[in-house]
Amino acid sequence: MKESSSELPESSPAEKQAAKWTARIDRGLTSEEQDEYIEWLTEDESHRQAMANYRWAWGEIDRLAGVQTIHHDKIDPDILAPSAAVKPKRKARRNVIAWIAAVPFAAVLVLALIYSEWPGIGRSEPEFEPAIELMARIEQQSLADGSRVYINRGSSIEIAFTSDERRVYLTKGEANFEVAKDPTRPFIVNVAGVDVRAVGTIFSVKLSGDSVDVIVTEGKVNVKPIASEFKSNTPVVDSLLDIGQRAKVRLNSEYPMVEVETLSQPEIEDATRWQPRWLVFDSTPLRLVVDEFNESNPIQVTLGDPSLESFLISSAFWSDNVEGFVRLMESTLGFSAEWGSDREIVLSKHDKPPALRKINRN
Amino acid sequence: MFSLCCALLVKEQETDQSQWFVDVVLPHEKDLRNWLRLRFPSIRDVDDLVQEAFTRLLNAHSSGPIANPRAYLFVISRNLAIDELRHSGHERPSGAVELDPASIVDELISPPESAALKEEIKLLIEAIQLLPARCRQVMTLRKVYGFSQKEVAKQLGISVHTVEAQIGIGLDKCAVYFRRHGYSTR
Repeated sequence: MKESSSELPESSPAEKQAAKWTARIDRGLTSEEQDEYIEWLTEDESHRQAMANYRWAWGEIDRLAGVQTIHHDKIDPDILAPSAAVKPKRKARRNVIAWIAAVPFAAVLVLALIYSEWPGIGRSEPEFEPAIELMARIEQQSLADGSRVYINRGSSIEIAFTSDERRVYLTKGEANFEVAKDPTRPFIVNVAGVDVRAVGTIFSVKLSGDSVDVIVTEGKVNVKPIASEFKSNTPVVDSLLDIGQRAKVRLNSEYPMVEVETLSQPEIEDATRWQPRWLVFDSTPLRLVVDEFNESNPIQVTLGDPSLESFLISSAFWSDNVEGFVRLMESTLGFSAEWGSDREIVLSKHDKPPALRKINRN
Repeated sequence: MFSLCCALLVKEQETDQSQWFVDVVLPHEKDLRNWLRLRFPSIRDVDDLVQEAFTRLLNAHSSGPIANPRAYLFVISRNLAIDELRHSGHERPSGAVELDPASIVDELISPPESAALKEEIKLLIEAIQLLPARCRQVMTLRKVYGFSQKEVAKQLGISVHTVEAQIGIGLDKCAVYFRRHGYSTR
């Protein structure tokens, strides 16, 4: 082990910059700064290393939270003023796992940093490109009227509310709407020339290459292709959808027909499985927990060793939070996680349980 | 029975870690939830946030001592909450979100001079002690008391910009100090 010495260099320019970025992130980045930050971070490997190290150090200092005593119930910025009493001597070695205890970031930054910040997965340096964008949580938006939208990964919506109507454009992908009741202001989702109209209800809208799908899971919804948006002289017929029904509008057909069919319960579940659900497990074998996640997400978690299947898990997660789940497996059970392919994370057992690794850290 | 969302217990794999969790951390869960609901009424999901805070606390605990687990838990949760509000963009985190030290310190913590504190904590404290006075005050208010940069500026009567600059300087010096003392991630 190296002697602690003052010959070790001062911080490098990259580290000084990392300190500034950490302070800015702690204050909250503006959107311009966020772009600038990502650019700086990806510019050079040394930047990423400096950032990982400084974010770790920043998080470490949080260990001092609440070090003041109840005798200091008055706020005292000088409680840590130098006093001759403290003289630390021994050198401590830290476990890499502390990295992920660092200060939280906005999700987009977390994604950008997963390689450098997530030792278990980052280390493996695979030849393929892991689809980390698919690890993002499902976005939830609360709209001004109290309605709630889940927006699937890779999808986007635009809000255009007026005093007469609540209009939303689904421009890409799929979303699920839970509409707040307001009979005086209809809620309309416009998707590729089709108006989906609701008052107070829950429904999903999905735009794929050549069709629009609407599924109603509560209440009623009106689906109406807008004549002017289709090259057709035949009058457009709208359809009232009931709970459990799906409407399909084919976009490239000459006559915009709304095809309605009633779905079975399993079919509805399949179609809406991407939406976040609160999963509660009580002494559930890990294999079933993993199955549940895999059915809900494009990223697939696999168990590298069959003996892991029977671990009993008592916990609860959001179904779209694969990252949180994998991290908990790493930190609590001491599993290691590696990318098996671009959409697969393999969990396997560490040689030693965490308690032993901790003892050996010197 | 304690809340399902937080306890990850593995039968026949009971470790010191999970015992510590049950004894030291779980008793604060209710306070933490109440406090979060009160201070951040628009947070989408308190369960989720509490679980994340527990995970981070466990990670930190598995790698070294924590001066005051309760305070640490509150600071992490607050950071997570502010971050979530920032991310969702629906609400600007405001100065109204204060971390009241009195709500956090519920037990007698050894003063910094006490030998009871672990060596790593002592090292952290020394890193702060060696900072220039203004810088030390900023870091103390931000990290020990958990005030936001804005609140620190108000407390010390200095500009927010100065606080940010001092945090950059303070962190840089602390990181160098850690490295010189072999206190690192590797």
